[in-house]
Amino acid sequence: AEFEEAENAEAIFSRIENKSRKIESLLKQYKPVEALKTALEGSPPQTKDERCKSANWIVVHRAIMAIKDVDSLFSSLDPEYYDVLMKYLYRGLSTGDRPTCDQCLRIHEKLTQRAGLGCILRSLADKVNTV
Amino acid sequence: QHDQIVSGVDWSKNSNRIVTVSHDRNSYVWSQEATEWVPTLVILRLNRAALCVQWSPKENKFAVGSGAKTVCICYYELENNWWVSKVIRKRHDSSVTSVAWHPNNIFLATASTDGKCRVFSTFIKGVDAKYVVNLPDAPADIKFGEQIMQLDLSFSWAFGLKWSPSGHTLAYVGHNSMIYFVEEVGASPSAQSVAFRDLPLRDILFISERLVIGVGFDCNPMVFAADERGLWGFLRFLEERKTTSSSLPYSSQVLSEKFGKLYGQSKSGLNNESASNAAAHENCITCIVPMKKRESSSEVVTRFFSTSGLDGRIVVWELAEEEE
Repeated sequence: AEFEEAENAEAIFSRIENKSRKIESLLKQYKPVEALKTALEGSPPQTKDERCKSANWIVVHRAIMAIKDVDSLFSSLDPEYYDVLMKYLYRGLSTGDRPTCDQCLRIHEKLTQRAGLGCILRSLADKVNTV
Repeated sequence: QHDQIVSGVDWSKNSNRIVTVSHDRNSYVWSQEATEWVPTLVILRLNRAALCVQWSPKENKFAVGSGAKTVCICYYELENNWWVSKVIRKRHDSSVTSVAWHPNNIFLATASTDGKCRVFSTFIKGVDAKYVVNLPDAPADIKFGEQIMQLDLSFSWAFGLKWSPSGHTLAYVGHNSMIYFVEEVGASPSAQSVAFRDLPLRDILFISERLVIGVGFDCNPMVFAADERGLWGFLRFLEERKTTSSSLPYSSQVLSEKFGKLYGQSKSGLNNESASNAAAHENCITCIVPMKKRESSSEVVTRFFSTSGLDGRIVVWELAEEEE
């Protein structure tokens, strides 16, 4: 299934920049779960432009690395975010960067317990909305 | 008769004929004469494997889905005493994995590995004309091969397409652990995409208008039900499976064993699961068919059904009264 390019690249970049500012502010207030929700909102950007996807990934990565308590993350994260979070965890695991992989693996374990194998399946099977 | 894998088989209960299709691109209709089953070859005119087959409700036609991205509608021509195949060549971008007839004997739904579900008209003048007067809200141009609807709900392979007993609801599964329900297909379709926790399904069965059983890679049938508002959701697994002290559901148990080392924890040795669980199926369940229905004035309910899988087993299930 193809989709129309909803916005052009500039619009997407400025949206991501806004998100980034909001996230930094939330992190200063020690609200890492809110920050992650903000990062995951509107993700992945509806475009084939890899630069947009990478820019969004940087923002999501910042929020993922800021999570300290994974258990409390899942007590307040809505299930609608599970599938898209799983996709970003796999992107994180693919970086090979040690701290990133450690963090993503930690969250992956809990997310899988919470959301089941179906969540992993959906992140693998979706070749259209890639992160 | 067939040279290669028989990929589809269907038995018409009223006319007592069996139709088989195979990767050898052929189809046979088998009729019973005394104790023997006698095959009649049907020329499908396919250049790729046939993947699935189903008799129409009136058993005067059958539909074959193929790897050639086509669907063959076959009907019996009395004058020539043979089965003729009319091919729907348009529309599909990939193999047709599953076909399902609407109770009106005209509409056919198809599921494909291009992720889409489509509904076509298979109206054939010689065969269907006498029945058309009874068709409720039939579209004006019900020409053979006309596409009535296309559903773009899934981004991955679609399987297991089935209509509910009344034809009001259409359901199918995606290879991404989703099941899709579409209501009011003709008039104003509304779709629900239900994501579930576990491994993808391969086939489904409507037990009644509001109860669906799905089977697939979890080797344990799943029950889906629609509540009073018509919202579908996963209810439970059909089989009780023993869980370990960490009380994870079956599939997560297996996952933890395998991932234990990855996460840097060592799980203490779990019991040999196959011995203690005595699960009905040990490998992916690929097919579920109804066996006995109970028809009351209000609705049709399937009480007995059977499943078969890649483990080579056929299991017959009986639904307890409470399920309905």
